[in-house]
Amino acid sequence: MLADAFEALKKFDWGTDLSVLSPIDDAAVTAHGDPAVSQELENRLLAALKESLSRDAHDYACRKLMIVGTVASVPSLAGQLGNKEQSHMARYALERINVPEAGVALREALGTVSGSQKIGVISSLGSRRDAAAVAPLGKLLQTDDPAVARAAALALGTIGTAESAAVLQAALPSANGDKQIVIDGLLVCAETLLAADKHAEAKAIYQSLAGEQQPRLVRLAATRGLLACARA
Amino acid sequence: MALRFWRGGLVLGLAFVFATAVASAADTQTDEFVQTIVKLIGEHDKEFRAAGLEQVRTAARGPAVTELFVAQLPKLDAGGQIALLDALADRGDRAARTGVLNLIGASPDENVRAAAILSLGKLGTPEDVPLLVKSLAAPTKAEQAAARRSLIEMPGESINQTVAADLLSASPDVHGALIEVLATRRASDQVPALLGATLDDNVRVRRAAMAALGQLGHPDQIAKMLPGVLKARKGYERDAAEKDVAQVCERIENPDQRGAALIEALSTVDAGQRDQLLSLLGRVGGKKLIEFVAAIATGDDAGRRQLGIDALSKWPDASVADTLSTIATKAGDPAERAQAFRGFVKVAAARDNRSDKERLERLKQAMKIAKTPEEVSLVINRVRTAYDVDSVRFVLPYVDQPEFAQLACETIVEIAHHREVRDPNKAEVDKALDKVIATSKDPVVVERANRYKRGETWQRPGRVSR
Repeated sequence: MLADAFEALKKFDWGTDLSVLSPIDDAAVTAHGDPAVSQELENRLLAALKESLSRDAHDYACRKLMIVGTVASVPSLAGQLGNKEQSHMARYALERINVPEAGVALREALGTVSGSQKIGVISSLGSRRDAAAVAPLGKLLQTDDPAVARAAALALGTIGTAESAAVLQAALPSANGDKQIVIDGLLVCAETLLAADKHAEAKAIYQSLAGEQQPRLVRLAATRGLLACARA
Repeated sequence: MALRFWRGGLVLGLAFVFATAVASAADTQTDEFVQTIVKLIGEHDKEFRAAGLEQVRTAARGPAVTELFVAQLPKLDAGGQIALLDALADRGDRAARTGVLNLIGASPDENVRAAAILSLGKLGTPEDVPLLVKSLAAPTKAEQAAARRSLIEMPGESINQTVAADLLSASPDVHGALIEVLATRRASDQVPALLGATLDDNVRVRRAAMAALGQLGHPDQIAKMLPGVLKARKGYERDAAEKDVAQVCERIENPDQRGAALIEALSTVDAGQRDQLLSLLGRVGGKKLIEFVAAIATGDDAGRRQLGIDALSKWPDASVADTLSTIATKAGDPAERAQAFRGFVKVAAARDNRSDKERLERLKQAMKIAKTPEEVSLVINRVRTAYDVDSVRFVLPYVDQPEFAQLACETIVEIAHHREVRDPNKAEVDKALDKVIATSKDPVVVERANRYKRGETWQRPGRVSR
């Protein structure tokens, strides 16, 4: 049954009846609490990814790897990060596979991918709240590409540690072009810290942004943040 | 032993010092928080002010802080005062009441006074009812509306009684407004006061009282409402009063018992006045009343016959259709016949629980006994209440008769408006609409016919789409 489903996956595309893949869905459910099934499914999925799959079939396989993937899946997924068609779903799986190697792969990809794939990798590092990515992301704040700098600032904000806050604060005076990019990152960082009950750290950020020299909307956001800190 | 006691005392002492320090730090933090809110309340930038007002609504609880917020009121411009009053009302701390009352007395700005009056609905006490009643007669509509809403919203069991006690001493306008307040508060405990007001000499007071009783009245009070119907002037006021009584009758679940309850109530009225209440019987309807009213509508007294036919014409459903049809067929007096015919067509077209085909059959029956062009027109016009393709077939031949053509065209587009009629019969309805387009002189009718042919809808002017 499972073998038939994987055969069907090779021909699967938009508009194909999804029920042909239901044995894989069932196996993904059974894999929860059954390491043997999980490993077999991961192996089959990785083998499928080596085939020439349609984009929809690739999406499907990555969604299942997000559930059963381990360190063994990282090299295959990492190899897809620079591929325009496959990068998004590879990151979808890597963001959620809870092994340090996934973070390493994403960090290494920072130096190898470009354009929208790079922005995606930065965003995934933020979503993983990868503390080890703070330094490389901090360097990207100074890049000439505003989209990359913005993604880095927001990722640092989402990571939401004292270290990421310090990197953002340090980048503020020397930010290339639009300082607002870094300010947005700081506001996200403060919200993340507040949500983690780190009120003092969050308050420090908000206070730094509440001054009269800041644009009106930044002061407003900072003021609201300070009130939220005081209430918490 | 002494050492243990000494150590215990030291621990307790340190704990006290630590707790005091923590409390002091917390107080300082709270003070800072409150001062931030106060600063924001005074901001001219509306969004910064809103950030502060959000905290007034939900945070930093306690009467002392509330009083601090209230103390800001005199320092603000009118817009700021209105916004803070609204926030204080949402905060719901009655410690703000005195400051609000001061503002009502002192502010030269009518909108500020109105906002202060409005906030009393949440912050006031029963002692404030006289002030709110007085404000119902305030010079501006904003203050009047605010007072009314506050009286409606103010919680407390004694409020209804206090408001009702003010009814008799109030001016007619205020009297009417107070009755509406009691109705909205669902003050069923004050029905006796409302019944008294149904006999007031002022039409607004009477109307408000009957409307309130329509909403709050119990079937046991139907007899007590009848003098109010009789007191109402004929025309709009009388019609509305009858509908109010009919509304109370509808609270009797069994339709047959409604008629019985009304007849019983009528027995409490002078015989001479009962005929004036016949149309009320018509509004209530029910099988038990048909025979009673039909006997009057076909009796010897011409004046009573007219009242009886009028009552049958107001029946809420078509159960009296045969009775009216018989009267229309047999009546010797042309005026009486015309009255019965109109009533027959009206009840035949009623959108009651009959099917559209049954409704159309009744209207076909009416067409058979129609004698004048006006009566034919009346039937063609009402066929639009039967949403069925057979209605289109029935009216279509009249499009060829110049005298009825325009009305028939209007009726056809009205029926075609209903998608459930036109879609399953598209070819046939389109053909009828083509005839309408070729015949009608009314551009709106022609436009509607074209739209329905294209499968589009049409929005009646003045209606707002949801």
